[in-house]
Amino acid sequence: MISTDPWIWLSALMTICSFSLLYGDNPLFRFAEHTYTAIVVGHSVVTGIATLESRFLPLFTGAKPLLIVPLILGLMSLFIVWRRYAWVASIPISIMIGVGTALSMRALIATEILSNISAVIRESALILVGPPVTSLGYLIRVVFTLSGVFYLLFTVGHRGPISKPLSYLREFGKYVFLCYLGLSVGNATMQLSGLATSCISRLINQWLGL
Amino acid sequence: MRIRELKSREIWVVVLLVYLITCLIPLGAPFEMSDITVEIYEFIDELPEGSIVVIGGSAVFAFDLESSASLIACIKQMHRNNLRIVCAPYGVEAVQFEKYCVDAARVDKKYGGNWEYGIDYVQLPYMAGGAAAYVAFLDDVHTAIATDVAGTPLDEIPLMRDLQNYEDIAAWICPHWAFDMIVRYVIAEKDIPGIYFAQSAAYGSYVPYMMAYPGKCWMTNGFLGGAQYERLEGVPGLGHAVVDSYALMSIVYVGFVVLGNITMYTAREEEEDEIQ
Repeated sequence: MISTDPWIWLSALMTICSFSLLYGDNPLFRFAEHTYTAIVVGHSVVTGIATLESRFLPLFTGAKPLLIVPLILGLMSLFIVWRRYAWVASIPISIMIGVGTALSMRALIATEILSNISAVIRESALILVGPPVTSLGYLIRVVFTLSGVFYLLFTVGHRGPISKPLSYLREFGKYVFLCYLGLSVGNATMQLSGLATSCISRLINQWLGL
Repeated sequence: MRIRELKSREIWVVVLLVYLITCLIPLGAPFEMSDITVEIYEFIDELPEGSIVVIGGSAVFAFDLESSASLIACIKQMHRNNLRIVCAPYGVEAVQFEKYCVDAARVDKKYGGNWEYGIDYVQLPYMAGGAAAYVAFLDDVHTAIATDVAGTPLDEIPLMRDLQNYEDIAAWICPHWAFDMIVRYVIAEKDIPGIYFAQSAAYGSYVPYMMAYPGKCWMTNGFLGGAQYERLEGVPGLGHAVVDSYALMSIVYVGFVVLGNITMYTAREEEEDEIQ
């Protein structure tokens, strides 16, 4: 049975308006596009204000007086719109960047560099263990990882006695990246295709009740 | 009619018809079960009753919808096992997405389930600050955030009294983008097991983390992962519908590729004839 919920009707009509782009640019699509943009902006503003309220509640109740510090820093950052006193905003922005960089650096080294190196070493040891299909998987992963890293490190051509073998490895690394890009495009296509199915499924099930 | 004269809108009509067929008539297309999805399912099953699982990350609702298939099935599983969940959104749109999934799982008492808000599940408001917000939340939840999404102070919520810091978290589920943050601050630094119900487009970028943290970091892949989880939980839903559409659309795409190539070769032969 067709839905009687006005929100589902609105959702269905906006979905149809969005899909109408496939027939070509038209006023219905532009209406949906502008409405969506406006809602996202409006929602972000409201969420921002609500966040301030929830974050600074303990300050106003007196439970956490130290919250006055971020509040002052936040107010200082607003000076960025006032050209004469814009330098005031540089203080909170520099603190924010400093804290962000420090937090990222300590985690990045462990997760992006050390853990990946240890993973490659661990998987290298697994190449000779287990069923052939699993071993092949580990072999491909290790070889592709090393080739990819090699390509990035030696992107600029090397001159010397080993330049020829290096160029072969670099070339192979390039194909590794192409494989990755191909897989990424394939995965992105699957994602968009799946999301289209979910939209149409919602229209049929929730709106039309079929 | 010549293929070259086809307009894009006519091709889109064919595509739309295929999508409609898959939505109207479930094909039951076969798909393989992934060992990793089974591992995730068994890990959740083995968590002790009352364990607190955090669902959180940064979000874009439109893309996160792909993770909903896995997450809804997983919420049903956690409900069945009497686990408790805290939704911790680090993206503006994450609040709506997490609420949508909990509602869609129909686990609250108002939908006939056993869960009660505040006792079995809590929805926190958007937490701004990126990396700093993650670190603050894990170190001291009540300092990082003061109220739930409705403005109720956390100290008045029974579930939140049991969640003081990272030591109280049994697992972290990320159904959003930006899984790297979870890996850095939750899995690597705090040693909390992490599950990523990944979007297809993100899967390839984040999959090395699964190799880097074996037994502590797991990922499912998009709607296919969702269909696998739905099968394990016995609740076929959106994941199954999408896998059906993948099957049929793949045939259509192959057909388009073949037609496109035939058209190209035919056009080239005609051009060569004209030149001669």
